Amino acid sequence: MANISLTVNGETRSGEAESRTLLVHFLRDTLRLTGTHVGCVVGRCGACTVMWNGAPVKSCMVFAVQTDGDEVVTVEGLARDKRLHPLQEAFWKKDAVECGYCTPGMLMSAYGLLSNGKTPTEAEIKKAISGNLCRCTGYGNIVAAIREAAGNFK
Amino acid sequence: MDFPINPPIGERVRRKETQRFVTGTGRFVDDLLPPGTLHASFTRSPCAHARINSVDASAALTMPGVRAVFTGKDIADRIKPMRVGGSPLLRPLKLYPLAVDKIRYFGEPVAVVVADNRYLAEDAVEAIAIDYEPLPAVIDPEAALEPGATPVHDVLGGNKVYKFHFATDGIDEIFAKADVVVKERIRSHRITACPIEPRAYLAHYSPDEDSLTMWSATANPHSLRGRIADVINFPEGKIRVIAPDVGGSFGVKIQTYQEELLLPFISRELGRPIKWCETRVEHMRNGRHGRDQIHYIEMALKKDGTILGLRDRIIADMGSTYTVDHSIMASALYMTGVYQIQNYAVDATGVSTNKTTHGSLRGIGKADAAYVIERLVDIAARKLNIDPIDIRMKNFIPAESFPYRNVTGALYDSGQYHLCLKRTAEIAGYEKLKQEQAELRKKGICRGIGVALVMEPTSSSRIHATGGYASCRMRIDPSGAATVFSSMGEQGQGHETTIAQIVASQTGIPFEKITVIHGDTLPTPYGFGTGSSRSSVVLMPSAWVAAKKMREKLVGIGARLIGVPPERLEIGDGKVFAKEKRDQAIAIAEIIRTAYGAIHLLPENMEPGLETMGTFVNPNIDYAPDDKGRMNTFSSYPYAGVIAVVDVDVETGFINIVRYCTVHDCGNMINPQIVDTQQQGSIMQGIGAALYEELRYDEEGRLLSSTFMDYRLPCVEEVPELALEHIVTPNPFTPLGAKGAGETGMLGPPPALCNAVEDALAPLGVKIRETPLTPDRILDLIEKAKSSHG
Ligand code: FES
Ligand code: FES
Repeated sequence: MANISLTVNGETRSGEAESRTLLVHFLRDTLRLTGTHVGCVVGRCGACTVMWNGAPVKSCMVFAVQTDGDEVVTVEGLARDKRLHPLQEAFWKKDAVECGYCTPGMLMSAYGLLSNGKTPTEAEIKKAISGNLCRCTGYGNIVAAIREAAGNFK
Repeated sequence: MDFPINPPIGERVRRKETQRFVTGTGRFVDDLLPPGTLHASFTRSPCAHARINSVDASAALTMPGVRAVFTGKDIADRIKPMRVGGSPLLRPLKLYPLAVDKIRYFGEPVAVVVADNRYLAEDAVEAIAIDYEPLPAVIDPEAALEPGATPVHDVLGGNKVYKFHFATDGIDEIFAKADVVVKERIRSHRITACPIEPRAYLAHYSPDEDSLTMWSATANPHSLRGRIADVINFPEGKIRVIAPDVGGSFGVKIQTYQEELLLPFISRELGRPIKWCETRVEHMRNGRHGRDQIHYIEMALKKDGTILGLRDRIIADMGSTYTVDHSIMASALYMTGVYQIQNYAVDATGVSTNKTTHGSLRGIGKADAAYVIERLVDIAARKLNIDPIDIRMKNFIPAESFPYRNVTGALYDSGQYHLCLKRTAEIAGYEKLKQEQAELRKKGICRGIGVALVMEPTSSSRIHATGGYASCRMRIDPSGAATVFSSMGEQGQGHETTIAQIVASQTGIPFEKITVIHGDTLPTPYGFGTGSSRSSVVLMPSAWVAAKKMREKLVGIGARLIGVPPERLEIGDGKVFAKEKRDQAIAIAEIIRTAYGAIHLLPENMEPGLETMGTFVNPNIDYAPDDKGRMNTFSSYPYAGVIAVVDVDVETGFINIVRYCTVHDCGNMINPQIVDTQQQGSIMQGIGAALYEELRYDEEGRLLSSTFMDYRLPCVEEVPELALEHIVTPNPFTPLGAKGAGETGMLGPPPALCNAVEDALAPLGVKIRETPLTPDRILDLIEKAKSSHG
């Protein structure tokens, strides 16, 4: 067991983790940030995607101890002062959500794409979420939502 | 109709539930962690068929954090067996949540460890020693029927577990006299639903209150409650089942599973909350599988393409611990599809094998039927050299024949098949496509055009299985907000929005002030699970009935207060007002205050308060066959025309969907946005089924596709250009005229894409009778065609 401390959604958070504890389980079970989901635990569905030091990562593929001292952003960190992030607004408006299970991972992959401030092409949008599976929506509205949010990204 | 369908019914209202999902504040079972929760992990069989000689858990029990281990023997005399099937045609079995003396499929749960956290529980699973004595695995359903085949269930002696027969008179003469008979063996391969949230359960028995709360990612909370009561022998009244947010089901979560019955038992034993969240590998091996039917089918036709009769023999692989027969029945009863075929015979056999249990999957049985008939019609067209659209147009049930009684007694509510396919051909530019195809062929590009018109019966009613009705109870609070309690859970369908639309449109309560509660057996009325696309066919009408009663009450009170007869009143703008004289009005808020607080002003005999209950029963259902074996078990019949355009790369075997055009008729739409999104997802699931997904077993019965690496769901890169349109033919037997929209999308791609690929490769003589259409299979077929022609 090690005590680790990291910045999550702008706040310093710490907790105990075994060396084998996955980041996704540390976030969900220890920090109780349950917006990040688990769909396969082997890096194939993207439901667990978070930002780690400025880049999107599948948090089931990272050990919690690797993130000691680092910066992590989860879906809970997207809205600011109760105002939805443009990506969240766009997902809502474009009906990019059905059951909502893949949604946090989709949002974080899209957030990673849009963070560099450039307007992505259709192909770049698809590439950014190609590791995120959604069984409900058929992806079309998700792509449309990311395209829309790209115009309003701050 | 005495009750108007006002906006926001029919509007593309934003979904209420989406807000919590985009902020990460949805609540799924795995998000819950009551203090003191212990975690379960299962030991699962590494083989498909074996006797269990012994299970030794002594080492596991000494491992850190382990609280208990249970084996099949430990529980067999302490809990009752699970119920199997609701159909008298299914052979009954006794099954326990953990295998007792015999293993019947790869991955079957054999023992369960309960520990302080999931890591420790998984560690201890590794330490359980089990001695298996392997038996021959029964994998091929046809071989399973041979005399001398090893029985999967010793008590049954053989593997034939279900039998259904239906035949009209004189079918053999029709085939004897026909100009042409087309005869094929077509197989629909084994797939599974794969929601992104696997199954997850949390059972919490409270010793202080002697009550049990079960949180389950189920699509069927009320039925689950009864089954838990049965199996663990605990009063149903002390059990509360809650399905919180559920991350998709597509059928797979509507059935009751071993783990779901075992966790409540363990929680009661230990007096602690017990949680188990399935891994993806476990889900692939234990979640219900679907399809997997072999059809020996023959069609008799005239030279001009008129279909005279159809004859089918179905062998359905039901896996080991089969529980329902819906798939075989739906296939057998709807094989004639959208065509006027009144001569039909079918022999359907359900077979037990050493595979995972067969069960519900989006389009259960109906998808197999639509696939096989739409393939066969195409094969016949090619043989007779008739255009695939022409042969369909020639045989479709005409619009003026509805409601149409099909040969097996099914009553199709409504349809405009000719119009639908005509419109599909228009949006696809069919004639131009054919010209382009001819030109591309000259350049060596294998382009194919695939046509299909798939019909999907919805809202089934089977005795003791799917009910056939749904209910909503509603209340307007003194504050003026309304709450609706729905009998059905939801797994992404958007009921919180569509029910609120219905209630808002009828009662004048603003959409924003309406909350919908679902998936909790304590406050909601009893009802059956979300499946068979029945929400819009029975649940939404039940909300409409509850709202109608509420409206009558509001208007009745308003009438009394302003002295105008109810027939002359209307609801709108937060008021009840006289139609001809709008200033004769009273605020709904005032009516609500009166209903609760000034009851001396209520009309005579009206109960105080504002609570109503609405129930809607599936129309036109038969619960027993007539003397010829005919019956109608579904109440609505949506359908979709499809034209798919593909290019096949003969070097790599890769299929590129150039365009997928579809025209869908699901009747009236309560929220067209929700229908569109759901349909896109449904189509992608169908594309996955046609091109990528397959559950494959090796000869020993080990599942080879247990992860997302080898069971490949379509990702965003595989979305083709889609053209979606609707035509609207309302169901005349339901108040909202909706037909159900969840499954038709998935039915289209398998036949349309197979037809398209066969068309693309027709110059090479390639025939497609097995799926999915993976590059390997395509290359193989091209190779075979070459050598047989060469
Ligand atoms: S849970 Fe991490 S990729 Fe699936
Ligand atoms: S919305 Fe259900 S998996 Fe994407």
